[in-house]
Amino acid sequence: MTGTMEQEGKRSRSGFGRWIRSRQGQQLLIIVAFMIIPLTLLIVFTYFPFGEMVKFSFYKMKYATPIDKRKFVGWQNYIDVFRRDDCFGALKLSLYYMVGALIQLVLALYMATILSFKVKGGNFFKGLMFFPFLINGIAIGFIFKFFYTRGFVFDTILAWCGFNPENLPYWLKDQAVNNWSLVATSVWRYFGQNMVLFIGAIMSVDAELYEAAELDGANKWQIFKAIILPSIKTIVTLNIILSITGSLSAFEQPYVITNGANGTGTYFVIMNQIAHTSQKVGLACAMAVVLLVIIFACTLLQKLFFKYVFRDAESEDESYKAKKARLKAEKAAAKAQKQKGVQA
Amino acid sequence: MKKKRVLAIVLSAMMTVGVTACGSSASSTEGSSTGASSDTTAQAASSDASEASSEAASAGSSDGLSYANLKLGQDYTDLKATITMFNHRTDMDSDDYGGKNWKSYLADFNKEYPNITVKITTDTNYADDALTHLQSGDYETIMMIPAVDKSDLSSYFMSYGDLDTMKTQINYANAQAYDGQVYGVPSTATTQGIVYNKKVFSDAGITALPKTPEDFIADLQAIKDKTDAIPMYTNYAAGWTMGAWDAYIGSNAIGDNTYMNQKLVHTKDPFQNYKDDTHAYAVYKILYDAVNKKLVEDDYTTTDWEGSKSMLNEGKIGCMVLGSWAYPQMEAAGKNGSDIAYMPFPITVDGKQYAAAGADYSYGINVNATDDEKAAAMVFVKWMTEESGFSYNEDGLPVKAGDTKTKLAFDGVTFLEDEPAKEGEEDYLNEMNSESELNINAGGNDKIQKIIEHAANGDESFDDIMGEWNKAWDDAQQTNGISVDY
Repeated sequence: MTGTMEQEGKRSRSGFGRWIRSRQGQQLLIIVAFMIIPLTLLIVFTYFPFGEMVKFSFYKMKYATPIDKRKFVGWQNYIDVFRRDDCFGALKLSLYYMVGALIQLVLALYMATILSFKVKGGNFFKGLMFFPFLINGIAIGFIFKFFYTRGFVFDTILAWCGFNPENLPYWLKDQAVNNWSLVATSVWRYFGQNMVLFIGAIMSVDAELYEAAELDGANKWQIFKAIILPSIKTIVTLNIILSITGSLSAFEQPYVITNGANGTGTYFVIMNQIAHTSQKVGLACAMAVVLLVIIFACTLLQKLFFKYVFRDAESEDESYKAKKARLKAEKAAAKAQKQKGVQA
Repeated sequence: MKKKRVLAIVLSAMMTVGVTACGSSASSTEGSSTGASSDTTAQAASSDASEASSEAASAGSSDGLSYANLKLGQDYTDLKATITMFNHRTDMDSDDYGGKNWKSYLADFNKEYPNITVKITTDTNYADDALTHLQSGDYETIMMIPAVDKSDLSSYFMSYGDLDTMKTQINYANAQAYDGQVYGVPSTATTQGIVYNKKVFSDAGITALPKTPEDFIADLQAIKDKTDAIPMYTNYAAGWTMGAWDAYIGSNAIGDNTYMNQKLVHTKDPFQNYKDDTHAYAVYKILYDAVNKKLVEDDYTTTDWEGSKSMLNEGKIGCMVLGSWAYPQMEAAGKNGSDIAYMPFPITVDGKQYAAAGADYSYGINVNATDDEKAAAMVFVKWMTEESGFSYNEDGLPVKAGDTKTKLAFDGVTFLEDEPAKEGEEDYLNEMNSESELNINAGGNDKIQKIIEHAANGDESFDDIMGEWNKAWDDAQQTNGISVDY
């Protein structure tokens, strides 16, 4: 046993053995040795299941179908996703949540800017507005079910404000408003979290900049536009991307409050229904893959969009316009040079 | 320096190997050991079972331990034993329970059998926990048989006797039978109808119970016109209460106990209008019409199931379409329990009314118990069935053969027990449900909710909805290759 090992060792020492003892080889060995645990975990619990899901999306199967009875159907599940009107119809609901997400971000940014300056009871307000994020999503669902019930909390409050309860819509029954009701719940819950993130980012801005700006006579809006927003653009971009992808995969509110019934079934709710009630696992997997592609595309588009919007802030020492002008000048100079050369 | 580095590499390599090896070996041994143990228990249990069943079969007459031969009050009166029972009725543990609770049942039992001690444990999550108890191999002497495969019944429970003999003793003997042996005696039996408030109905001037959809809608209208009560409460938001409507499309609407499990999958356009106020069409039409004519609650999206019980009890609701299991809960939900009653579903087939009836949980006796415990358990089960009045008190249908005592006002209604699916076709309904996405009697709540939405918004006619369902059903038959025979 040891004899063969020694022999093998001798043989490999010539090529691989020497390389592995070299600095490069040792580096690689250490990297591999330390990476193997997290990589194994990642592959076993994330990429392998994901691969299985992609595989399932090409089969017609239920959860309990034994492996040999699963039927390969090719692209049929994907074709069904695009043909069925409930799948893509549900994606339209994401538009409600996207609008909600934008309102939520603007609101959060506004409150964060105000609260990051000296405000009386600022911490109290921060806590108050962050609180909904700490409540369990299921509990929020039940709170709002009662909140929106006819003649209960919301109607009573509006009645105090002078609305005639007779003229108020049914918040969850009326299909013209029920999605907005759910979106409002979502905004109520997540806006505090966004706000805290923004406050954190704003805090990191150097206070001397404000002072300098005030000395120069800038008003609050100018300070916000010229100092705060460019300084926290990374966190703004991140929050917007997260909110938009989040609104594509909205699930909790419609699932808990309305069970996805009455025209509030978002893509995820429909997917859950298809997978668990109707047991069309293949179709649901295909839906998941399609959604993933859509989210990828959205994220990419947003990245490009923000690259364009923040083009001024991106360049460190010269503005976008200046850079453009410089490039243009350089180009013209090069052209002139070239022409000169040709002439010569 | 170099040595150190080598050492570090070796160490880290060892650690990773150690960790991964540890993980894999542990999981593999665990897997194999549990596999082995479950195998052995299964084997042991099945061998036990075969012994027991052969014992029961051979000793049935000599030993006397068979349900049919057991004479209550004469046999085993001096038997001293302690047995346990595990069941789902947590409410009956409480002293505040509106009906007769476990304590008083046991007190009555001990008057006759003072030496048999029965210890009862109840559980809110019974269906799951009971399976865990069974799988552990260490379970109570008497259990309410949970969802185990019929072929496994004999590994867990002793036989009460053969099917033919048991049929002379109890109704629904088929419920937990396998291979000609009966392993469970139903604790009670339920049927499908409508739970209603008698006072609301009489206040509205209704004297006779409705027998056709037309009468029923007229009655609901009368309740709306003459009382303040909500005529019919849909419980839309709870979801499962909507799926409950599927239970009426079989025996109740057609009067054929082979329809639900055998014929439906082979029927072309099962949701079509048969034009005689029967079949699934008539059942769902009642709901559509009631909603369309605003005979249900105002805002159906925010209904509250727990609250609906007391509302019915207090006469704020006229009726709800739910199985008879709900009847005792409605009675117990307030002070006016005597106002609550249960009526057959308002569909008449050729002049006769039918109702689907089925067994509730059945008592099973632990096959691994000692002979004394088995005997004591058998005595208790037979006493519960024949002398305790349990199924009557719990508003169920009688389980003892020939008994007619029940609180359900189902005079002139024929009870039908659904026949099981034909051999080889057991999976057909599941396949059809999955493919058509209608999920009949299988959590298809959203389709019934949609009926309500369309009826309330008036954006789709009932016939169009049924047309869609028919198409989904027919397409599913084609995809699954199921023959269309009816």
